[in-house]
Amino acid sequence: MAAPLFLLAPPRSYTSLVNAMIGQHPQAFGLPELCLFNVERLIELWNGVEGENTERGAMARHGLMRAVAEIYCGEQSVATINMARAWASVREFWDTGSVFRELVNKLDPLVAVEKSPSYPISLQRMHALQRTFPDARFIHLVRHPIPQGKSVMAINNGAFTMRMGAFEIHEDYAMLEPQIAWHDVNLNILEFLSGVPDSQQIRVRGEDIMADPETKLAEIARWLGLRDDDEAIEEMLHPERSPFACFGPLSAMFGNDPNFLSGPTFRPHKPKIPKMDSPLPWRTDGKGLYPEVISLAREFGYDDEY
Amino acid sequence: MTTNIESGDSPAAEKPGAQTPPQGKRERLSPVPLDDRGRVDPSQMAPHQAALRQAVVDTFHAKKARSFLQKQVTHINAHRALANGIKFLFDENGRAPANAPLEDIIEERRMVEYHLMWLESLVAEMRHRLVRVREIEDAALELLAEAPADE
Repeated sequence: MAAPLFLLAPPRSYTSLVNAMIGQHPQAFGLPELCLFNVERLIELWNGVEGENTERGAMARHGLMRAVAEIYCGEQSVATINMARAWASVREFWDTGSVFRELVNKLDPLVAVEKSPSYPISLQRMHALQRTFPDARFIHLVRHPIPQGKSVMAINNGAFTMRMGAFEIHEDYAMLEPQIAWHDVNLNILEFLSGVPDSQQIRVRGEDIMADPETKLAEIARWLGLRDDDEAIEEMLHPERSPFACFGPLSAMFGNDPNFLSGPTFRPHKPKIPKMDSPLPWRTDGKGLYPEVISLAREFGYDDEY
Repeated sequence: MTTNIESGDSPAAEKPGAQTPPQGKRERLSPVPLDDRGRVDPSQMAPHQAALRQAVVDTFHAKKARSFLQKQVTHINAHRALANGIKFLFDENGRAPANAPLEDIIEERRMVEYHLMWLESLVAEMRHRLVRVREIEDAALELLAEAPADE
């Protein structure tokens, strides 16, 4: 069984695009967000888990339903989504690791690529990934905290920051502060990866892939032990060709970031990297990044000369 | 009074009882503690902090509800005819049916209208073909009528 690849990153860090790009490699298969490790048993994706209200929505199941429909039936339609529901029903009491393993086995020899953003918010979920796939590879995908925070706050009024408990509390008021979520999720990832062999992990800046995709994607392909010829890299430059790079049937429309689903085409560009002392676009008081965030960003290779 | 931030500092620097972390050990910046499953657990916060956090959460939900309603109103305004068509589904308090989101109803209505248009165009096309067949029939009958009786 080909060891799967997981992308670990806070949301809005180019994960959808990079997942689809790597998944377009002829020897790989890019999955939608399966969210399987959010829960322990498959049925809990339907029934929910106490205290996990935010993950009870049907959208958490769309990725799995679309993946099963595509892998087993070769198409995504209302009929094949119904088949996927039946497939899940038969396995409802399975632990989610076994369900994931079955999909990975079915895809073998292709390398399964997945990136549910709900995994890195919890060490427990990432450990479940590693227990299920001890030889899994991990890419820690990073993005500069200022554009990432701006993007997070533009989605659903910054709901992710609230979920991460990213509050800045003052004497008489509190506010959502996305750089806290950026810091804490990346810290989670670093803590998890400290227990993963070096040969099974790399860190990549999303901005580097956007600016020089051919070079960076070829490096990733070589690291994964995959072909790095022109044909393979050319295919990776077309994430829009993924069967999951569009909305699914009415009964399972999502399984990924809706912004990506509505515009998955990749256009190479050099993202602007703000200076570390720049004012934060989501704040009105002119304040900047915390020292801890600047320190971590520098560790990731972001500095004012970047 | 406890806060997790003072002007110009990071939250970690102002956490109650916070000490300088050992070299190499970094701490979370979120003031909300985690439970044993690694989920945020506001119940362990100081009452003052918990109240301020709850105020932000309430504001967030109010904003979300407001933007949802605004979107729905825009939707209805843009599709006034459709909205009128499905008015009967709403209860006496103007609430939408619980199991049928407005978007689904509008989509269904639109689909039915497309089907009607398709059927109407199909009927028109068949009528047109019928007219042509009749013209050919008439022409054939004329030819037969003009033909000599012994042929």
